[in-house]
Amino acid sequence: MLTVRQLSFNYPNSRPVLKSIDLDFETGNIYGLFGKNGEGKSTLMKIMTGLLFPKSGTSTLHGDNVKKRNAESLQHVFFVPEDFELPSLSIATFEKVQSPFYPKFSKEKFYELIEEFKLYPTNIISKLSFGQKKKVLMAFGLSTNTKVLLLDEPTNGLDIPSKSQFRKVMASAVDEGKCIVISTHQVRDLHSLINHVVILDNASVIFDQPLETVSEGLWFGKASNPDESSILYSESSFGGKTILARNDMEETEVDLELLFNGVLSQPNKINAILKDFHHGPRV
Amino acid sequence: MAQEFSLPRIGQFIRRDLTIHKGTFVTGLLVSAVLLFLFCTLNMVWDKKLALEEFFGIFGVFYIPMGVLFTFSLFKEFNDTKSNHLYLSLPISIPERLAAKWFTLTVIYTAVFSLLAILVGMLAITVGTVIFSADFNVLSIFTEHYWNVIKVYFVIQPIFLVGAITFTKNRIGKTVLSLGLLALVFLLFNFILFAIFNHSYGVFSGNAIGSDAIDNVGEDFSMMGKWFYGLIFGPIMLVVAYFKMIEKEV
Repeated sequence: MLTVRQLSFNYPNSRPVLKSIDLDFETGNIYGLFGKNGEGKSTLMKIMTGLLFPKSGTSTLHGDNVKKRNAESLQHVFFVPEDFELPSLSIATFEKVQSPFYPKFSKEKFYELIEEFKLYPTNIISKLSFGQKKKVLMAFGLSTNTKVLLLDEPTNGLDIPSKSQFRKVMASAVDEGKCIVISTHQVRDLHSLINHVVILDNASVIFDQPLETVSEGLWFGKASNPDESSILYSESSFGGKTILARNDMEETEVDLELLFNGVLSQPNKINAILKDFHHGPRV
Repeated sequence: MAQEFSLPRIGQFIRRDLTIHKGTFVTGLLVSAVLLFLFCTLNMVWDKKLALEEFFGIFGVFYIPMGVLFTFSLFKEFNDTKSNHLYLSLPISIPERLAAKWFTLTVIYTAVFSLLAILVGMLAITVGTVIFSADFNVLSIFTEHYWNVIKVYFVIQPIFLVGAITFTKNRIGKTVLSLGLLALVFLLFNFILFAIFNHSYGVFSGNAIGSDAIDNVGEDFSMMGKWFYGLIFGPIMLVVAYFKMIEKEV
């Protein structure tokens, strides 16, 4: 549905931020887009929304180049940026002036989410905290019912209860017709939410796998007397957690943080193991 | 394929702009109304009347600068790094955006400002009649003075529209400076053209050659020249604005 092909980008007079990126985002999935700070996650999201133009390559939605910013294409994408400012209006007025542009907008859903986030339609947005503004925009984004919802560092600025509230809301929001991409460097915040992991490093995609494949191919935990050669990655801190090739071992819950660190440290080893489980390797 | 030029969407976009900038517009119009009233009233102190040309002179002093200020205000979201993500990703095509902005800043603004100015002017005349025993007359937009002011605004507004899109900081100052430089370039261009075409007739042999030449350039400004500059400052600037909007990134 949303396809990125041979996409490269750099800001003026600086090193490439993205180099030859190939990615496919399909409906019914929540993608976690991970990477260290400055690895191009936000840039990639902006390109996928048509807010930045790639130096080469394309980003297409149902075959339409998003760079053209056609009204029809934009009706299928909603982007929640990391840092933003909303107009100084009440939440209800904001909904009234902004929602007519999205044909599938659900007013009921919006006000349900606003209530869920403990906000009121009469609240003036400019008087809200940044976290509350983020909730307004996320509620709006979810209510637009666009096919693609892009969230850049959505948990930044949210307090701890709000983070779990966010996970709850996002989990209930996904359906077969929607594709959600969440970019973050706080891997833990997306625990039990995403079903596909994409990791960017050195301006490239170094990992692009469904979580199902990860749990089929890898074992996460504290191994007792493991065979040195079977260790794909191990952390001496945090109680010596390791990633092993699963083989016949019991399935474990994917530790996203461990996976992220492991992939950054041993991308080739981990990708090679998963290749057998993958339906169409790209990396 | 959805329409890329939809009138309902343009209407929604105009409504959105007017709602978001309601405070700015109301404040600007109220300030203009108060100043317009004071200027009109004071004008009647000396000659005990407010002639149409005097009224539309005062009208132009507020109508044009206020229109320019509104133009910059309406494009604030476009260049603001924190709000332009939401603004640029809004599902509305570039021609629709431009049409909505232009219509708001010219047609709607002119209609509202003119109505307000006429009402304020009539109020000032009534007050002048009572206080200064000034002549009573009815203000009307069906006069050449009014349409001359409107014409000037419609021609220069697209230049400020391009300035509002192009510059991210000190937008008004930079636009005025660019306009000043542009005016100097055109003056020089006209002067050179005049010199090329008229040198052989000996027009530069007099004592005050510079001022004579410039006067002649002014007099010689043909209908074709008016169309040429009218096009440059009017529709062509709208085309420039369109391409600037297409190229805009966050």
